[in-house]
Amino acid sequence: MSAQMRRGENVVIGSLAQIGRCGLFLLRILAAIPRSLRHTRETVRQLWFVGAMSLTIIMTCGLFVGMVLSLQLYHVLSIFGGTSATGSVVALSVYRELGPVVTALLFAGRAGTSITAEIGLMRATDQIAAMEMMAVDPIAYVAVPRFLSGLIAMPLLCCVFCGLSIFGGHLVAVDWLGVDNGTFWSNMTSTVKVWDDVVNGVIWKSLAFGGVVSLIAVFQGYTTAPTSEGVAYATTRTVVASSIAILALDFVLTAFLM
Amino acid sequence: MTDTAQAQPEDRALVRIRGLTTVLNGKVVFDKLDLDISRGKVTAIMGPSGTGKTTLLKHITGQMRANSGEVWVDGLNVGKLSRQALFDLRERIGYLFQNSALLTDFDVFENVAFPLRQHTRLPEVLIRNIVLTKLQAVGLRGAASLTPAELSGGMARRVALARAIVFDPMLILYDEPFVGLDPIALNQVLKLIRTLNETLGITSVLVAHELEAIKQVADHVYLIANGKVVGQGDPKSIEHDGSPWTRQFFGGEADGPVPFQYPAGDYAEALGFRQGAV
Repeated sequence: MSAQMRRGENVVIGSLAQIGRCGLFLLRILAAIPRSLRHTRETVRQLWFVGAMSLTIIMTCGLFVGMVLSLQLYHVLSIFGGTSATGSVVALSVYRELGPVVTALLFAGRAGTSITAEIGLMRATDQIAAMEMMAVDPIAYVAVPRFLSGLIAMPLLCCVFCGLSIFGGHLVAVDWLGVDNGTFWSNMTSTVKVWDDVVNGVIWKSLAFGGVVSLIAVFQGYTTAPTSEGVAYATTRTVVASSIAILALDFVLTAFLM
Repeated sequence: MTDTAQAQPEDRALVRIRGLTTVLNGKVVFDKLDLDISRGKVTAIMGPSGTGKTTLLKHITGQMRANSGEVWVDGLNVGKLSRQALFDLRERIGYLFQNSALLTDFDVFENVAFPLRQHTRLPEVLIRNIVLTKLQAVGLRGAASLTPAELSGGMARRVALARAIVFDPMLILYDEPFVGLDPIALNQVLKLIRTLNETLGITSVLVAHELEAIKQVADHVYLIANGKVVGQGDPKSIEHDGSPWTRQFFGGEADGPVPFQYPAGDYAEALGFRQGAV
């Protein structure tokens, strides 16, 4: 076996081992949820940091995604004389795919990295060890509140993203390109199905993405090498692993939910 | 808790270490180490850098498991304790970290109050009184509203000390408590360690290098090197016990049983000189 193949094999085995460790870490988090109920204040504080503090970037990006989507679709649909369907296609694209996926990618970049860096620095400065020494379970106090806050914040942020995207799409299609306002809304409401598009697309997907991104962020921070270089690597790994996981999971969820 | 973790009959040693062997990254840190920490006394652990003094404290608190041997604290075999039993034991132990390890999300007051908030349901007024009493003891009551980032190294260490004693523990482990303290703060911390020991009967273990400070506060000194206890006794007389270990350590000599140089290859060869040409 060549050295290159052996290296490739080691990378695959290493990645599988890392996924296994992450799975075991998830079990520790789930087991610690009852113990973390007494740290509700910490969960609310984290919800503010990862949820409310991400609102600006989510709202801005949602608005522009809706605007650019509407602009592109209008020109494509005008070839076939179907510009009246602009609202429907914007809404379906946003609810089914772009909303949850782009929100999750933004969430990983904004909140995931900050969670990893914060926990990594807590480890590097012995704060996690200090909690252990004060008989405070760091999984229940540090990991679970951040995991739960990501799980709760993602669907809410996704709803905001979708709302702003529809608003941006409306601005471009109706106010700028002259699509009829009534046609825009009536086509959208007749095409979009609450269960198939909104619940399956927005709620379930964003819940799954929120769980995965939060888990990866917390896991990377918790297991990072306690050095500045280790924290930097862990932060990068959070973004890379989260992005891959989001897109791969999106395919699996879409296949099951459609 | 398993049978072997059951409490043993009360003895004079609060901490009893027997046959402790630890190997880290292929290096033997402890080689069948035996050591006792007497109840109600101040015991200092000294030794060259990298000899495993902080590791020893981690064994006492169960943060680290040994390859073999036993660590008993207040009659409990630390290595055999369940996680919950270990946490129960740690509630009775104060630990002062080398780098203070203050929680950066909280101000000084909340850092000291943190263990109280986590383990008790005391009314706010009582928590406030306890925290202010501890901060007054370390001379930082006026700094209660500062954040850890606003503290100097010495101040952060004193806040960490206030947090370590907030529960009036049976045992306090101090990891390098005198580093970064100015003479005034050093004197106050020495007095505080002595006062806690004498008035509350708290057992203290100090890991430190400052022999003059140790002489003022410690009842007993252990000198650790090469994974074993190489000297022990009264801090005022240990440096004159005639042992080559104590002579080298307290005399600050480069030559002796403890090599100053980390193991390495031939120096001339490393510099690129041919053998015999130098």
